[in-house]
Amino acid sequence: MSNSSSIKNKVEKKKKQDAKQYNRHTLKILKGNFAAAEGAKLCRTGFIPAYPITPQTTIVEALSDMVGRGEMDATFINMDSEHSVFAAAMGASLAGERVFTATSGQGLFYAHEVLHAIAHFRLPIVICNVGRPSIPWNIWSDQTDSLSQRDTGWVQFYGESSQEVLDDIIQGYFIAEKLDLPVMIVLDAFYQSHTSENVWVPDINLIDEFLPAKEKTGSEIDVSNPKSYGGLIPTEHYEKFNIKFWQDINKVEDLTNEIGKKFGDLFGREYSAVEAVNIKPETKMILVTLSSITTTARGVLKQHPEVGLLKLRLFKPFPKKSVLKILNHVSNNCIIVNIERNFLGDNEGAIMHEMKRALYGSSFKMYDVYTGLGGKDVPPSTIEKIIRKTFNAPEDVVWIDFE
Amino acid sequence: MEPSNKFLIQEEEVYSGALSCRGCGWALLVRHLSSILGKETVYVVPASCFSIIAGPYPMNELRGTIVHTIFAAAPATATGIRTALDRQGKKDVIVAVLAGDGGTFDIGFQSLSGAATRGENILYVCNNNGAYMNTGIQTSTATPYGAVTTTNPNSNIKKTWPKDLMGIIAAHNIPYAATASLAFMEDLRMKVKKAKETEGFRLLMIDGPCPPGHKTEPDKSIYVARQAVESKLFPLYEVEHHNYRINYFPSEYVPVKECLRVQGRFKHLFKDDSEEILNDIQQHTNDYWDRLRLLESHSFQVKN
Repeated sequence: MSNSSSIKNKVEKKKKQDAKQYNRHTLKILKGNFAAAEGAKLCRTGFIPAYPITPQTTIVEALSDMVGRGEMDATFINMDSEHSVFAAAMGASLAGERVFTATSGQGLFYAHEVLHAIAHFRLPIVICNVGRPSIPWNIWSDQTDSLSQRDTGWVQFYGESSQEVLDDIIQGYFIAEKLDLPVMIVLDAFYQSHTSENVWVPDINLIDEFLPAKEKTGSEIDVSNPKSYGGLIPTEHYEKFNIKFWQDINKVEDLTNEIGKKFGDLFGREYSAVEAVNIKPETKMILVTLSSITTTARGVLKQHPEVGLLKLRLFKPFPKKSVLKILNHVSNNCIIVNIERNFLGDNEGAIMHEMKRALYGSSFKMYDVYTGLGGKDVPPSTIEKIIRKTFNAPEDVVWIDFE
Repeated sequence: MEPSNKFLIQEEEVYSGALSCRGCGWALLVRHLSSILGKETVYVVPASCFSIIAGPYPMNELRGTIVHTIFAAAPATATGIRTALDRQGKKDVIVAVLAGDGGTFDIGFQSLSGAATRGENILYVCNNNGAYMNTGIQTSTATPYGAVTTTNPNSNIKKTWPKDLMGIIAAHNIPYAATASLAFMEDLRMKVKKAKETEGFRLLMIDGPCPPGHKTEPDKSIYVARQAVESKLFPLYEVEHHNYRINYFPSEYVPVKECLRVQGRFKHLFKDDSEEILNDIQQHTNDYWDRLRLLESHSFQVKN
């Protein structure tokens, strides 16, 4: 009896500590998809074009519900496809609205053409993509969809937790509207989208302080000041647009770190483009991860003081500077192991491509491990296997759970 | 001399220098359209001849706003723009899609159907010249039976009937759809005005003259357009919800071959052994007209 009451006291104490830590927040138990919807609502998005696709659907369902109840002042439209969803998002954003939508897998593939158009119209749209692969039909966790869209010009963040997804949406709008670039927040199917977690939901006035109402840039559709958008562009002018894009996309990494810190000051949770866990000069192996596999690896690391973890939160543009800064202090004998929950039909996965690019000229031995494709579970035992196997792997590309 | 006030266009809402071919319907259509819709209009243009005609960056033939968008999703883009303008209290601003037949009948078909079904407050204008003319005369599902295109060349003529887009769009139960011809300008202007004043999804289907695609002389554009109406190949009618109204009854019988004869894309039909195809086209045209008459006779009898 006294024992259980002391546990109760401990829980209460912990709750109070947490509540103090996250002032002006409410603790809720939310599935990832509902945390995403909450984020879109709190950012006061005005337009949500929607189309259902598993496992994203509950995001737009939740938003439709919020609009229907009058909890948010937004227009929700049931569109005829993801292609039309993104085209409608593009139209409303051109006219100056703050826009949100969500999709998954085939939906993102189908919208591919529009993703390019949105990026190169320089529209600050934020979306959530709940990752899943393509044919044969599979609805489970996999990052092939978003990673295959890495060259569309969208900024990509991969959220490790539902809390991070919510926080990334807020920071995503800040970055998008600062640089006129679209931002995609990616979460894992089911492991995140349909799994309940404790999520600290910020008060809306706290978000208003961080993310004021969308400012006019002067480029919006304005019938009293007619303009032409997107017309045929002669070769002598075309590059100008790309150079401007390039200059701004190059600012994303620094801005991510800068506003991640500012977010920390205001909300109590600090973020950066990448996170180093247990990386020391003598570290023997570094696992490079995206999304929820990071959490699993964190747990395994406790048994492996010689292994470090590099979590990529920002994936596009690839945070090369931050990665190099961390690896700068690590011995050249350290092995780098990229954990790929994606298959791009190539010898190597997307993370390996980017890491090789970032580390060009360095002498780190690099391995690539395919795991967890199509939603296959990646339990701690698989991470253990990755650590054991790649220390002495003869091949540099390994399918870990496939023998 | 004082300028005559009998000109149909009182307010010119386009700049000079449209990049259309000689005898193209787009330039004339857009002059009249914009003069009625006014400067405070947002034009949404999917890939089409008009993408070029409107002028390359940084030019704009129109005095209004123009958004060049992706081929398959002009109605969806317009939906987003409409939503934003409505949220900003600009409900009076017209959002008008200017599309070709490829962007309407084929690649943009789903997006069109979606916007029509949702009842988006958009004016959709299709300049139907019966093929992908901007890419150089390839067959679309609007291409007439018997025509030659670069993808139905020589004796491999198009042997399927064009999609009945008007019938399909009318089945969406929209408040206003109409066909219009540049040879019947007062009828066309009346329909643009009516479409402008109607709220909801409206569609205008314009018979688009195209000298390079139809293999006609530029000075024959209006003549061919008139013959299309007189021969009933392109009947002039309106549909309000499910109610049909024929606007023009040709007073004399003009066989379809009179309209086809002047178009090089049909010239093979006037050689030996092609009589049967001409008869088929005549029969199909008669049947369509009869069906329209029937639909008209059943219209406006029940309340909407």
